[in-house]
Amino acid sequence: MFLEKEIFKEFEDIVGVGNIDDGVVITNVYAYNWCMEIFNYMDGKEPIPFSPIPKAVILPSSTEEVQKIVKLCNKYRIQIKIQSTGLGPWNQPSTDNCIIFDMRRMNKIIKIDEKNLYAVIEPYVSGAQLQVETMKYDLTIHMPGAGPMVSPLASATSMNGPGFTSPCTGHSARNVLAVEWVLPDGEVMKLGSYGLKNNSDWFHGDGPGPSLRGIMRGWAGTKSGLGVFTKVAVKLFPYPCSTDFNVKGNSPNYDFDIPDFMKLYVMDCGNFKKLEDVMLGVEEEEISFMCSYLSGFAVMAIFSNSIESLMDKIPIGQMKAPLVVIITARTKREFAYKQKVMDFLLNNFKIENIIGKIYTPKPIFYAEALRSNLGLHGFIATGGFQSSKGVADTAAVCLRSTKSNIPLKQEFIKKEAIANDFGEGTWMTSYESGHYFHMESPTMFDQTEESSVKGMAEYMEKSNQLDLLKHLGAPFFVEGTRMHELFGPYMSNYHIWLRKIKETFDPNNISDSGFYISPQNK
Amino acid sequence: MSETKIYLELVKIYGSKNISNDPNVLEKYSEDLSFFPKKEPKYVIWPRNRNQIQKTIKLANSLNFSIIPVSSSSGPRHHGDTIPRNNKTIILNLSKLKKIINIDRKNRVVMIEPGVSFGELIPQLYKRGLKILTPLHPRASKSVLTAALEREPITIPRYMWDSSDPLLCTEVFFGNGELFRTGAAAGPGSIKQQKKSGQAQVNPMGPTQFSPFRIIQGAQGSIGVVTWATLKLEILPSIQKVYHFQSKNIEELLDFQYELLKYRLCDELFILNNLNLACLIREDPSEILTLTNSLAKWNLIFVISGRDKLASDKIAYLEGDILDIIKEKKLKISNNKTETNEIDILNFLNQADINPWRLRLNGGYQDIFFISNYEKISELITLVEKQITKNLGIYIQPINQGTSYHCEFNIYYNPNNKEETLDVKEKFLRISIDLMNSGAFFNRPYGLWAKDVYERHEDSTQKALKKVKKIFDPNNVLNPGVLCFDD
Ligand SMILES: Cc1cc2nc3c(=O)[nH]c(=O)nc-3n(C[C@H](O)[C@H](O)[C@H](O)COP(=O)(O)OP(=O)(O)OC[C@H]3O[C@@H](n4cnc5c(N)ncnc54)[C@H](O)[C@@H]3O)c2cc1C
Repeated sequence: MFLEKEIFKEFEDIVGVGNIDDGVVITNVYAYNWCMEIFNYMDGKEPIPFSPIPKAVILPSSTEEVQKIVKLCNKYRIQIKIQSTGLGPWNQPSTDNCIIFDMRRMNKIIKIDEKNLYAVIEPYVSGAQLQVETMKYDLTIHMPGAGPMVSPLASATSMNGPGFTSPCTGHSARNVLAVEWVLPDGEVMKLGSYGLKNNSDWFHGDGPGPSLRGIMRGWAGTKSGLGVFTKVAVKLFPYPCSTDFNVKGNSPNYDFDIPDFMKLYVMDCGNFKKLEDVMLGVEEEEISFMCSYLSGFAVMAIFSNSIESLMDKIPIGQMKAPLVVIITARTKREFAYKQKVMDFLLNNFKIENIIGKIYTPKPIFYAEALRSNLGLHGFIATGGFQSSKGVADTAAVCLRSTKSNIPLKQEFIKKEAIANDFGEGTWMTSYESGHYFHMESPTMFDQTEESSVKGMAEYMEKSNQLDLLKHLGAPFFVEGTRMHELFGPYMSNYHIWLRKIKETFDPNNISDSGFYISPQNK
Repeated sequence: MSETKIYLELVKIYGSKNISNDPNVLEKYSEDLSFFPKKEPKYVIWPRNRNQIQKTIKLANSLNFSIIPVSSSSGPRHHGDTIPRNNKTIILNLSKLKKIINIDRKNRVVMIEPGVSFGELIPQLYKRGLKILTPLHPRASKSVLTAALEREPITIPRYMWDSSDPLLCTEVFFGNGELFRTGAAAGPGSIKQQKKSGQAQVNPMGPTQFSPFRIIQGAQGSIGVVTWATLKLEILPSIQKVYHFQSKNIEELLDFQYELLKYRLCDELFILNNLNLACLIREDPSEILTLTNSLAKWNLIFVISGRDKLASDKIAYLEGDILDIIKEKKLKISNNKTETNEIDILNFLNQADINPWRLRLNGGYQDIFFISNYEKISELITLVEKQITKNLGIYIQPINQGTSYHCEFNIYYNPNNKEETLDVKEKFLRISIDLMNSGAFFNRPYGLWAKDVYERHEDSTQKALKKVKKIFDPNNVLNPGVLCFDD
């Protein structure tokens, strides 16, 4: 037992028997997470995949319960860490004075508002579930590249937000409407039109006056460093083609009827300058469902289900600057127009589509693209990865960042710390028809090998330094006090303001700040 | 602290030429078109650079005076948000900061100072084949940056990817005088260094785990003074085809509009009542009335566009798909061919307004605007129409990818007619409150609305906003008294 008996009982009275556990087995299991070893090592700790063991794991079933638990945590000065589906080290406590909230009982789609083009969801609704329901209305959602198994609420309120369909569905942070949010002091805040005392509804997330979405999150979320999100309204987008979805067979070798109006283009642009021109050219036409630069190796991976099946794709891997574009349409006319635009661009830029000529993917690829499930292949084909970098601004800076990272990665490949992707492993996508871009460098390493973990951590540190010194934008993982204090002085001293927000809204430092920022002297 | 001391310190920063306490000048800043009570500022100052702005804010913190930033060079102000509320207020007039710092065709972004107006920016962008996303026929002298800061709705909902668009990054002095850059502009590195690495300040989110631009936006100058901003641009179409559908029944048009929105089939898209459409097209009051009478009550306007070699292919596909929707939904509406022509409509969509359209009919107006969901629009229109039976303009603008609607009611009247003015004043507040009580979301709570709006909102919102204000403007020097912030 990690909680005093009386305190345990108080928590149990809120959630009911069986919905809180502080036994050794459960708490130890919850101390594990993917990639925890890297972050441990970076923090000067042993590179093991375990965080501090939580005092207990609690499963609230409603906002009221969440609020009561948070208030109790304030009373006993116990910290909280929230998990929606709980994938990744940012779900882990940074101290041993912490309770994990597993939000799995809050799993309802509150509504799909067809007329106002949004859905309201709880934390444990997965992207897959929500998408299936919205398809009934010829609509779809934005999903982060992590895939359909994760929580759109967590992505929208607390995490990141890049996805493969970002050219036409944007970024999670920009798709947020109204929000229900239990602040670290236990107060429930309702953003935007949901905060109306009468006639409250979810259609708008800003105001009255300044938008509190500005303290809720930035390019990255606060990763449970500033309270608990219990409901969110997210925008819906038109489903890109026919919603008929016929899958046959068994995992992982499914078959799929490719929708009539869906076409894949994989083109080698030869070099980064031309890649930038082509990407901007495609995006200005506002035609793409997906428009991503992936290194040759990564393109091989998105078409593969195993190491063996990677091998027959060597010709793809040899491409110098591959661009993957998918166009989709709802009507024959639209499809014909979009194909004509692509033909025009291919001709203009003198590049070729290799699909159907050099390589033809299995139909299941198209189903996975529609389900935003391509990130999965990073695991299937390579066994595991973590992303470094994560700048978001122009295509030019993303490509410069990609290029400058290659020699650095190669250094660590030579040391056999990370897997050999020729140093090129990058994913870069357009957003909102090319209004901005982001890149990250997925990097494969061996989680079970200490030297590989250490090498990966050192590579990430050096990559961060590179971004800082060469002004290549802030990476994803500028989070946690150490990183904020490193980057803040070069970035308008933002860390001072961020810290003030933390101190103001979390006076008792209840929300675990391991992946956010700690208050002064804590 | 004595006034003389404040004046002398300001002179040290500005020289006496850029400060005024001329009663005629002060008078201009003491009132606007709204019914907000009159009060004169102590001085008006015109900074020429950001050092002066920073020094002024720091001075306000140490000598305890208030600052209200304004940006538009001329033309009427509206909503009571720039009228002083205390006896120690200085107007910081940013209209002389007029640089279009950078027009970037490749990255579709412009960086501008606060004094740049729509009248100045639109032609410059046109020359480069670009366009800025504008509110409906914006006043030529209106500051482009302020329109974005105030979350004024733009006319192309599919380009409004977030409610904050077209605003991207900003440079801002917070209330304690500290300089900050929001979004990707924060760094690492100076703007010059960022440019060298290929950046263009197009990502508004961040830095890192917060997005302070969202707090500055909608704050009516009470959180920070913005000295430049980057704004999203779109490429100028080479063909624009205008559609104008009329109906007696707004529901029919709302239905059709929904389909266009859902599938992102068009660019500009909104509904106007006959009077507002006439005000946008004609200038002379009698011509406005004649046109009003010849139009159906409700007018759905939308534009489809294409550019370059495949422009007509795009138009053909969109037209075909739109016609299919009309057939499939069995809509009994058709494109208007008589009362208005395409050029009239494109004029007000593509150009800034030299003769403000809301002032054309009677020389005065009050506007009531809020955000609604789809279902409530008709009900809220009925509520207003019951109380105002003539000279009422209505404008319904879908925003934010069709997830909500800006609803605007323009009450046109003659401000020189005392009786009419009194009547409008009484109705303005009464109707606004009726609307608030019926689910209208006043997300930009100006002047006289603010108190009533916040009363109808969860207390936690006010509490949180006050905390935010305290963080960024600890001594309450920036526009005190607006929103839910105490004077
Ligand atoms: C292999 C892999 C690939 C990925 N690729 C991408 C990608 O392409 N794009 C992208 O955006 N992200 C990516 N991610 C990260 C991913 O965004 C998140 O894991 C996911 O979107 C969030 O959903 P989740 O349910 O997994 O959240 P969780 O992992 O449960 O939570 C994410 C964070 O938010 C906090 N949190 C969760 N729920 C709440 C809540 N209700 N209230 C307060 N805080 C909460 C957690 O503490 C945690 O810090 C990737 C992750 C992995 C493991």
